[in-house]
Amino acid sequence: MTTLSHAPASSRPIPNPKKSLITKLNMGTGIVVGVIFCWGTYFAMKAGRDMTDSHNVNKVLLMSMFAWSIGFLIGIGAFIGPFRWLIGKDLTDEEQLYLAVDGQGWKRYFKYCTDHKVVGIQYLVGVMALLGVGGTMAMMIRTNLATPGSHFVTPVVYNSLVGLHGITMIVAMIIVATGPFGNYIMPIMIGAADMAFPRLNALSWWVLFTAVPVLCSAWFLGGIPTGWTAYAPLSDQAGPGMNAFVATIIIFAVSTAVAGMNITTTVVAMRAKGMKWNRVPIFVIGATISVALAIPAFPTFMVAMIQTGLDRTIATGFYDANVGGSGWLYANLFWIMGHPEVYVILIPGVAALMEIAPVFVRKPLFSYNAAIAGFAGIAGLSVLVWAHHMYMAGWMPSLNGPFMVTTEFISVPTGLLFLVLIGTLWRGRPWMKLPMLCVYAFIWNFLIGGITGIYLSDVPADNYLHGSMYVTAHFHYTLMGAALTGAIGGLAYWFPKMTGRMLNERGGYISFWFIQIGFNVLFLGMFIVGAEGQPRRVADYAHLYSHANLISTMGAYSVGIGMIILLWAIVHSWRSGKIAPMNPWGAKTLEWTVPYPVPLVNFDQPPVVTSDPYGYGRSAK
Amino acid sequence: MAHDTEFHVHHDSPEAIGRRERLGVRLLIVADGAFLFGMIFSYFYLRNLNVNGGWLPKGVHSFSTASGWVAALGLIVAALAHRLGEYNKAARNLTAIVVLVALLIGGFYQWHQMAHMPFIAHDDAGRPFYNGAYASNWVLVAGANMFHYIVGAFVALGLLLRGYRVKLDPTLEEWRQRTAGSWFTWIAISGIVCALATSFK
Ligand code: HEM
Ligand SMILES: [Cu+2]
Repeated sequence: MTTLSHAPASSRPIPNPKKSLITKLNMGTGIVVGVIFCWGTYFAMKAGRDMTDSHNVNKVLLMSMFAWSIGFLIGIGAFIGPFRWLIGKDLTDEEQLYLAVDGQGWKRYFKYCTDHKVVGIQYLVGVMALLGVGGTMAMMIRTNLATPGSHFVTPVVYNSLVGLHGITMIVAMIIVATGPFGNYIMPIMIGAADMAFPRLNALSWWVLFTAVPVLCSAWFLGGIPTGWTAYAPLSDQAGPGMNAFVATIIIFAVSTAVAGMNITTTVVAMRAKGMKWNRVPIFVIGATISVALAIPAFPTFMVAMIQTGLDRTIATGFYDANVGGSGWLYANLFWIMGHPEVYVILIPGVAALMEIAPVFVRKPLFSYNAAIAGFAGIAGLSVLVWAHHMYMAGWMPSLNGPFMVTTEFISVPTGLLFLVLIGTLWRGRPWMKLPMLCVYAFIWNFLIGGITGIYLSDVPADNYLHGSMYVTAHFHYTLMGAALTGAIGGLAYWFPKMTGRMLNERGGYISFWFIQIGFNVLFLGMFIVGAEGQPRRVADYAHLYSHANLISTMGAYSVGIGMIILLWAIVHSWRSGKIAPMNPWGAKTLEWTVPYPVPLVNFDQPPVVTSDPYGYGRSAK
Repeated sequence: MAHDTEFHVHHDSPEAIGRRERLGVRLLIVADGAFLFGMIFSYFYLRNLNVNGGWLPKGVHSFSTASGWVAALGLIVAALAHRLGEYNKAARNLTAIVVLVALLIGGFYQWHQMAHMPFIAHDDAGRPFYNGAYASNWVLVAGANMFHYIVGAFVALGLLLRGYRVKLDPTLEEWRQRTAGSWFTWIAISGIVCALATSFK
């Protein structure tokens, strides 16, 4: 990699590599080429094909979606670097500078920009958009469930809502912390000038970007009937909307592999001088363990989706029992990815809160080593528990016992995470700012999420609870109550560094209470109706559950209002909030030693680290 | 800070860049390895289940074991030739060509196999389908090989062309030879694993 000078942007001319194609390309050209590729493929493939055969329909649609993605990447210039490498004429210094789009104002957010800070902001906005879309669907789901026999949406639409809400949120949550903070903050935290592979960093974002319209197209193609888990053989037989799901996951898997290897390499190879492993901030450790776990986990989902795609297009039979296939194959591949994935989501959120807690109680992080052991233990065990999602699937009942044991074992390293947080808070004098409130909310929510998980891991209990709203409540407590709360805490904490302004406090507090109270109202009751037998993923329910469901829906509206207030606070503060000082929280990690706007290469002089980042109340060692 | 200086570009040492690139590629190999694991898992899982006797239904043809190994041959030769060139710089112009040609020929053979699959059947409406789980798995494995041939050929062509450029940093290019070596070795291993797997019918 090449890093760039740090003279202030204003004093430098915009690099202008003459005649270089890269100066002409941006998101607009990407969209144009992508759309041309998409429609070109569509019409070319459609011609002469019998479109009454669903296999042909799937073929045409799937290929058009991939063509869009590839066309977009060509159009935005993603392949210029690799091509120039191929012919041995590497990008010149001037071109590299241009790609970092220094000094070009807002335009850089719409370019193939290699600056990690730009990529971080792109991810942040992307995540908020995904959460908005997914949240809107959640509101529609809860509106439909407000009363029994409601016809707010048809059952078919309801199925699609549940599935697309689920996958949108899962995608959003996978990137919610590592995307914005992993890209913007993490390189500064370790004292690096940029990511290890800046062009791949841009690639991971723009590849992800191409997945979004593909996912949305599911709505125009009739939705998906399968839920976010896309179980086979239903996914084989589902209508054209399913192609959007398949293409989204394949594209997304490419993006996460690239992003994961980039983040891991950056942390391993680009830490500042003196930043030994035991001086690396805990957020960096958590984010790295999370993406390093994703690298081997996600490809099995990609295999499953390619198999689904092949079944649907060229009539292979991976999941078709008529020709020797089996739905169990899908379930295994899916959950071998799926369980590690829930920790890929959880760990960065917790790690962000572990970064926050010491700062706001002015105490060292309690047992840094236990935190690392917790993350590592969770990551290691998480690949050995996948069949707890399949107890009732009839697959290998003899393995239920062993999987129950491994699953319950995970509560040990999970307990370490609690220990670290509570130990850090213990006898501290908390400074009750929004990031700190999120630490408390996390402890409450994840306690409930984690303990209900242990009930689910118990085979006899799961025999009864599986497929009920109890499961839905459990994983919302972990995903939303824990991981999203962690991400919101991270946003409140790093907002000053990312935008140069303080997040509006009152807006932050009000949204916090609307969200947290609403959330608990929404999902605590869901445990009860779930335990009483209300099935998940069903558009209607028996009258006996009607009170609890109405209350849940009221909680959901409260969450919705809170989210809108939070969005307002973010937008308002970003545009005209109070200007933030360099280190508003008095924290000791490196990102607070650089001014806003952060210079192109982050540091005037490469920093040298001489102590651990949590040395509050003791002299630096 | 000198504000009037022209922007300048600071380069990390070629050693540092080279090492970083190798780590990056190795991490991608881990991801690809997980993909291979998923495929092999699918192959043997469905083979052992043999749902409704549908692994290789009666009368359905399979590829010969030998042809599976031939399909991996290009990957293996390429990896060996690259290794040779890595240690013997004088021979590198030649070995780089051998790597590329091996990958092109191997890739062509793999493509040819895929164009002549013996297990495609037709339903009552005359629509083709893959008859049996062996057939389904075979096409996925062959596709993965094909993907490796294409990416491998891209890398090989790049190395070949770059070998003739004098302006490039020799230390960094040496690192890239090694990094590419990791990749070529990996795709050969993956090819061997696939050939081994498809030997079990
Ligand atoms: C603390 C330890 C945890 C245990 C013991 C646990 C256990 C379980 C079990 C046994 C199930 C299957 C229930 C069923 O389908 O019948 C389940 C479902 C689920 N868990 Fe957890 N869990 C834990 C933590 C988490 C975390 C941290 C997350 C996410 C961040 C999570 C996300 C999920 C999801 C998404 C599902 C539902 C998947 C589906 O069927 O759609 N869990 N959990
Ligand atoms: Cu799980």
